[in-house]
Amino acid sequence: MKDLDHTPAVPRAINWNRVQDDKDLEVWNRLTVNFWLPEKVPLSNDVQSWATLTPQERTLTIRVLTGLTLLDTIQNTLGAPALMPDAQTPHEEAVLSNIAFMEAVHARSYSSIFSTLCSTKDVDEAFRWSEENPHLQAKSRLILQEYNATADPYKRKIASVFLESFLFYSGFYLPMYWSSRAKLTNTADLIRLIIRDEAIHGYYIGYKFQRATEQLPAEKRDELKDFAFSLMFDLYEIESHYTAELYDDLGLTEDVKAFLHYNANKALQNLGYEALFPAQACEVNPAILAALSTDGENHDFFSGSGSTYVIGKAVATEDEDWDF
Amino acid sequence: MLDDGMTAGLDYHALNAMLNLYDEAGHIRFDADRKAAREYFLQHVNQNTVFFHSLEEKLGYLVDEGYYEAAVLEAYPAEFLREIWDTAFKQKFRFPTFLGAFKYYTSYTLKTRDGKRFLERYEDRVVMTALTLARGDQTQAMAFMHEILSGRFQPATPTFLNAGKQSRGELISCFLLRLEDNMESIGRGINSALQLSKRGGGVALMLTNVREHGAPIKGIENQSSGVIPVMKLLEDSFSYANQLGARQGAGAVYLNAHHPDIFQFLDTKRENADEKIRIKTLSLGVVIPDITFELAKKNEDMYLFSPHDVERVYGVPFSDISVTEKYAEMVDNKRIRKKKINAREFFQTLAEIQFESGYPYIMFEDTVNRANPIAGRITMSNLCSEILQVNEASTFHDDLSYEHLGTDISCNLGSLNIAKTMDGPDFGATVETSIRVLTAVSEMSAINSVPSVRRGNDESHAIGLGQMNLHGYLARERIHYGSDDGIEFTSVYFAAVAYHAIRASNLLAQEKGHSFKGFADSTYASGTFFDTYTTRDWLPESDAVKALFDGKDLPTREDWAKLRELVMKHGLYNRNLQAVPPTGSISYINNSTSSIHPIVSKIEIRKEGKIGRVYYPAPFMNNDNLEFYRDAYEIGPEAIIDTYAAATTHVDQGLSLTLFFPADASTRDINRAQIYAWKKGIKTIYYVRLRQTALEGTEVDGCVSCTL
Repeated sequence: MKDLDHTPAVPRAINWNRVQDDKDLEVWNRLTVNFWLPEKVPLSNDVQSWATLTPQERTLTIRVLTGLTLLDTIQNTLGAPALMPDAQTPHEEAVLSNIAFMEAVHARSYSSIFSTLCSTKDVDEAFRWSEENPHLQAKSRLILQEYNATADPYKRKIASVFLESFLFYSGFYLPMYWSSRAKLTNTADLIRLIIRDEAIHGYYIGYKFQRATEQLPAEKRDELKDFAFSLMFDLYEIESHYTAELYDDLGLTEDVKAFLHYNANKALQNLGYEALFPAQACEVNPAILAALSTDGENHDFFSGSGSTYVIGKAVATEDEDWDF
Repeated sequence: MLDDGMTAGLDYHALNAMLNLYDEAGHIRFDADRKAAREYFLQHVNQNTVFFHSLEEKLGYLVDEGYYEAAVLEAYPAEFLREIWDTAFKQKFRFPTFLGAFKYYTSYTLKTRDGKRFLERYEDRVVMTALTLARGDQTQAMAFMHEILSGRFQPATPTFLNAGKQSRGELISCFLLRLEDNMESIGRGINSALQLSKRGGGVALMLTNVREHGAPIKGIENQSSGVIPVMKLLEDSFSYANQLGARQGAGAVYLNAHHPDIFQFLDTKRENADEKIRIKTLSLGVVIPDITFELAKKNEDMYLFSPHDVERVYGVPFSDISVTEKYAEMVDNKRIRKKKINAREFFQTLAEIQFESGYPYIMFEDTVNRANPIAGRITMSNLCSEILQVNEASTFHDDLSYEHLGTDISCNLGSLNIAKTMDGPDFGATVETSIRVLTAVSEMSAINSVPSVRRGNDESHAIGLGQMNLHGYLARERIHYGSDDGIEFTSVYFAAVAYHAIRASNLLAQEKGHSFKGFADSTYASGTFFDTYTTRDWLPESDAVKALFDGKDLPTREDWAKLRELVMKHGLYNRNLQAVPPTGSISYINNSTSSIHPIVSKIEIRKEGKIGRVYYPAPFMNNDNLEFYRDAYEIGPEAIIDTYAAATTHVDQGLSLTLFFPADASTRDINRAQIYAWKKGIKTIYYVRLRQTALEGTEVDGCVSCTL
């Protein structure tokens, strides 16, 4: 069990050589090698491409990114920290602090996109829009309710997984769509780095949820499952409206919804639950689905930086290596 | 066949992306990609192509409107033009993949000035390239057209993109410039970088001679800012200048490992580098002499030497002395200021940066110079690390005019498709025609904006014939890449190419009556170059490889000996003949695997600024021969290095060699591969590429390129 609960008599240092749950170390290692900063992506290469978007498309793009900024902000300042008191191991806390920090990097990186591509006026306008948009506010409030300190710790994890694995994707759709049309490809690279992180975050929190609920009595587990599905219904309802409002003009709403279904199922799967939407409702446009995979990409180095590089494990060479 | 119900209504991008998603039975959907290519023509190309009633109408319009260069067409009679176009269209060329077609129409074909409508089909581009480079010679024009359209020979992007167009960039692929340790040279270098980027082609600059951070200027200590600010200036210059937006300016800088700024140079690519020193788009290369390996072996410190002092002591720039040779002497010389770092730590840092960014490239300086048949020193490579030629420093007056005009390097590239060349009717003729095409590019180029490049080209007519589709060919023949048979094939094939390339250049020297400048001082002239070929055979031994060359005339020792006499008597027209580039774009159009690398994935996800993310199936692959398409990460660095080592023996310049590692490898794994490469006589290493497998539970379902 976790050591630092309720100000213990003997404060204990974290010992990474005594890991209770190997998943903590595995995820920690993955998250740390995946560390990145938005400065590495040559976003300015997208300036010309940005100019080819219609004003309507630009507004949509800025709004979508502002919506994503809000979600990352919530997860950075409230979501990930709120999970810490419930952590089962000290290592889980360490992983959560990494998650919290990377969410801050994500939120920061949208601003890098803005400052590279857009005018201050347009960006300010979009932030005002995000504060006033009823759907965006509604979904944030639903999640924030569960992050409340008095809320059920299990439900907090459910809400967190839904945010990480479901709510982001109505927004992620757009840069993936643009990049499949050879537009804003560097922005898409940056978003793909974010997706690479969020996929792990949602998976890990879901995994911790499953571990934490294993020992619970059946009634409690049923209650949580009911809660999860009902929260998913509520969020889906809001997401449908949000999606329609954003994407109707481009005629992409149906396609985005299939993507939402696909990711809703993924979120539920992360929690250990069965799929909600049938396979035929999840037929995501292959161009978008295939765009999600970050491994195996072969980019040309002269127009972008790619999303496959990581911080390597430094190991000194030995005499035997220099045998020549 | 594909169920039409399932793919109905999908656009070509979606159809193409289906390549990356297995079907229900776990098979790769090759049909979807073919359908994507078809749909691309139906939905987009055909509807957006300007229609002409006849060839005369088309050519008249394109010349009158200033799209085609009139002089190119005026060199031929009208009936010949009709004949060559007819012949070309009769070949019924079709793009086998969506990416091939998409890449061609997005980046190469001639478009109306608003960029909206297509004015050329693939055959038009091929014919215009052939007509331009044949300069009025009808036989050659026809031969060039056949080699290109058949896919046996593919000119590099700048040539294929620009030939015959009225407003265009240069036909040359890349440029290499020296910088010396003075402001005039640096200023001239930046200007040259701007001029060359504007006209197209990648530019590499050598920074080895620029004095380090903190070095004295005019005797006053701590004045110099070192190489980093120069890199910043260059990076901004390259992003400013691009070829009418057609190609992004791109540049590389090379630094000797024993330059005192080496760590700062590498740190510019760190993930957490400060914005002031971070280098995002400029490529880096490090020049490593043998002595660095020797020091690392002994786990000793390596000394870094101030270029300013070295030049004062030896009277020549730092780059022009061999660090290996003079190392002990320089260490003992009190007049050369120096600092030291641990040699193994240097290699480890190198690998760390390669993990984070893929950079730097590496040039093994002493290996390169030992293998150089030309008198003079090779001090740097280029943006793709395959060009290895000698250069000579320039000196300047205060107003930047030349006090002494040195030579800088340019190179014209083009590659053979190994599979098509092996299938072709006459191996030797294909190589010869390719050498003639590349020589034409050199003769037609005069880079007046950078006189040192113009002089270098005029005197050398250096070209670089490359190769691609090695993996595709081997897999089609059911031979594993990196197997003994695969390596033996590579060796025999490259030896035969070298023979015919030298034979062709010798013919050119006979026809034109002169050789490249400096021929007399080369090992071609002395004949020692040919020792490799007259003292042993380079013929197939295994039955499998013999079968591949069945019916082909391979050069014997006697052939080589005869060629030696001809070369010693008549010379060579081209100072450099072969260089194996990485072949990105042109291998997609040509339906090849890149260069002589293994594939990166059965279905490659190709991402570029202009085309976005597109999926590309390996050539000749089907659901029955997948076992021969193990990718570069599965094959591992050693088999790749062995394959390259076999080819390197027969290539006078370099070969772009990328190393591939899984992301859970360590810096030690990279270092070991570098040591192995150096030991096997590899000349340069290009990128290090990493592949991170998705964490179990987070992967995209049913995706072909995703590895588990």
